[in-house]
Amino acid sequence: MIWVTWRQHRGQAIACLALLAALAVYAIIESTSMRTAFSNDDLAACLARSQGTGCPAAVDAFMNKFGSEVNIAFWSVALIVPGLIGVLVGGSLIARELEYGTWRLAWSQTVPRSRWLAVKLALVTGGLIVLGAAMTAVITWYRAPMDRLTGHFLHNIYDFEGLVLTAYILCAFGFAVLAGLLIRRSIPAMVAAFIPWLAIRLVVEFVLRPHFMTPLTIQGNCGPPNGCGYGIGTVPQATGRIGDWVLSINGNTITYQPADRFWPFQFIEAGIFVALTAAALGATVWLLHRRAAWTA
Amino acid sequence: MFRFRLDGSSGVPPYLQLVHQVRQSLLLGYLREGDRLPTVKDVAADLVINPNTVVKAYRQLEHERLAGGRPGQGTFITATATPVAPEAQQDLRASLEAWLRAADEAGLDDEAVTALIAVARQDLKKERVP
Amino acid sequence: MTQHDADGSVPALRTDRLGRRYGKVWGLRDCTLEVPAGAVAALVGPNAAGKTTLLEMIIGLLEPTEGQVSVFGQTSRADTAETLARVGYVAQDHPLYRDFTVADMFHLGRAMNPSWDQELAAARVDALGIPLQRKVRRLSGGQRAQVSLAMALAKRAPLLVLDEPVSSLDPVARLEFMRDVMASAADAALTFLISSHVVSELERFCDWLIVLSHGHVQLAGPADDLLAAHRLLTVPRATPDAELPGTAIHRTDSDRHSTVLVRAGADQLAAQGRPGWQADPVSFEQLVMAYLQRPTTVTTHDDPAPAAERPGPNTKAVPR
Repeated sequence: MIWVTWRQHRGQAIACLALLAALAVYAIIESTSMRTAFSNDDLAACLARSQGTGCPAAVDAFMNKFGSEVNIAFWSVALIVPGLIGVLVGGSLIARELEYGTWRLAWSQTVPRSRWLAVKLALVTGGLIVLGAAMTAVITWYRAPMDRLTGHFLHNIYDFEGLVLTAYILCAFGFAVLAGLLIRRSIPAMVAAFIPWLAIRLVVEFVLRPHFMTPLTIQGNCGPPNGCGYGIGTVPQATGRIGDWVLSINGNTITYQPADRFWPFQFIEAGIFVALTAAALGATVWLLHRRAAWTA
Repeated sequence: MFRFRLDGSSGVPPYLQLVHQVRQSLLLGYLREGDRLPTVKDVAADLVINPNTVVKAYRQLEHERLAGGRPGQGTFITATATPVAPEAQQDLRASLEAWLRAADEAGLDDEAVTALIAVARQDLKKERVP
Repeated sequence: MTQHDADGSVPALRTDRLGRRYGKVWGLRDCTLEVPAGAVAALVGPNAAGKTTLLEMIIGLLEPTEGQVSVFGQTSRADTAETLARVGYVAQDHPLYRDFTVADMFHLGRAMNPSWDQELAAARVDALGIPLQRKVRRLSGGQRAQVSLAMALAKRAPLLVLDEPVSSLDPVARLEFMRDVMASAADAALTFLISSHVVSELERFCDWLIVLSHGHVQLAGPADDLLAAHRLLTVPRATPDAELPGTAIHRTDSDRHSTVLVRAGADQLAAQGRPGWQADPVSFEQLVMAYLQRPTTVTTHDDPAPAAERPGPNTKAVPR
């Protein structure tokens, strides 16, 4: 059954490896200039000393040169790609068998369909975890110099680093496998899984994430001339520290999440998506086991 | 190897067709005592028919003492049917054709001819029984 | 628990009041039949008759709503390895994985069936000239059917179920496929259950007949005996069914005469015959068509003991 799973998902595995390889190649090529610029401008020492306030020109120059590519371009990708990977791999897992009638072949061999599904899910999930971890590792390595300026708590960056990227992929996968069982057609299942996944993804990111833990407040000096900035272009954040996540500024009151909450937040958010994955896959296994009745 | 044939439209059950073909071949001298009949599998594959049909035919032949199975070796013809000598066959055939022509001229169709033969046969059999 | 036939042998297949409901509709109801070991049985019926439902329950792909299936005396439980191992299956249209090679398909067979006979599978395709390294999508329809059959045979199960195995094949491929089935039946003393909606040509292949329509078994038993138990009667038009010997199965009325296919023993015919009536033997096709066209769902079981036939309960197979 292990060989069968491998052989059936071989194409997908190769495509994922190619994607990963392309990402790695891109990262290696692009990061060279970034790393060179970072060390040339002696930004490391400045950041350590003064959180970037001591060398604003160098910071601005670095951000202008690499910011758009590293910060902005990635965001839409972050939103779509993990979902796409998940639904493309998961949507056809069961649906394809039902669509093409090969379930009659697959489930009449001497392997009960629950076992067939369990082995497949275990192996493919494992593969997706490895993929997610590898993609996270490549991106984290690539972004390392920029992260020294921006921290990794801000929206775009948080979505790629830590645990959540893998969790996003798994959740989309889980939804798509379940959708495939219920809808019995691959492409409609992929679409039907992607939409709720995207909706949940946006709700979690913009509505829930800021409040995983109660935000802290601090009084800042936000009058003219400098004002208080926040967002990805600001180094450091209005709290005076790189790595904090400023949520809002009201007059002189800055509401923010401190940098050291990055990992707890990652665990919470990953936990949400992994729980959704488990629920979707659990429902799939249960439904398949219970309903031993399929028409094409 | 002896090969059977099947007439799908004759209305005669397949197994009987096989039995008839063996009987006929014995009479005509195409099969002789000691000849080996093809295996059940060979006939089933050759004619694309159910092997149980062949088994049934061979059992019928055994019942009629025309053939018998030797374990592990196959089914063999056991009867010494007195084949009709070719000259006698030809004579009979000639007189039969003459009779058929006469029947045709008298206005008998196929069914009437068959009926006439059947009746005549019945009467002959009655005569033979003491 | 092993159930035995009257002669002491275990039937290859036995179903006992088998039924399957989809929502409110019964796809199959009250299905009781038996197929002896070594038989080549034909399951005949129109497309919505419940053939596939019945076959799927026999194979173990589908759980019955009521009744049970036993294969060689062992009761089947859907979707368990023991049940699935007992039946080899070729589904309609012979599904295979299109981007697998033939060798890949056999590898799958080996991985998913402990009883797999790789030599048998390889020898079969070799004899047919199908290269192991060819992708399934590049095989012809007939070759795909042959690969499917090879997989079912290599599973080494004693009962083989073929669901309309030749309906998508051209005449030559059809003949070659059935040739292989007949040879396998002779070779390994396997039991075959072959479903078909084409009636002509069945006579040469099958020695056991099951007619299914409207979700019920209309007729089941040894083909030869069933043929012998029916006659085609030609009677005057005015003759009511009640006056006819046996049970009238199907009637065609002309201006002055009627042709009725009846199920009647020779003694019944002798006893109730009349001058002016003609009794002819029935052909396989006539027999099957008569039962398929039968309007009611009264079932007639061919019991092993020669009891009088009993009509089944007049159950409806359509939703309320």
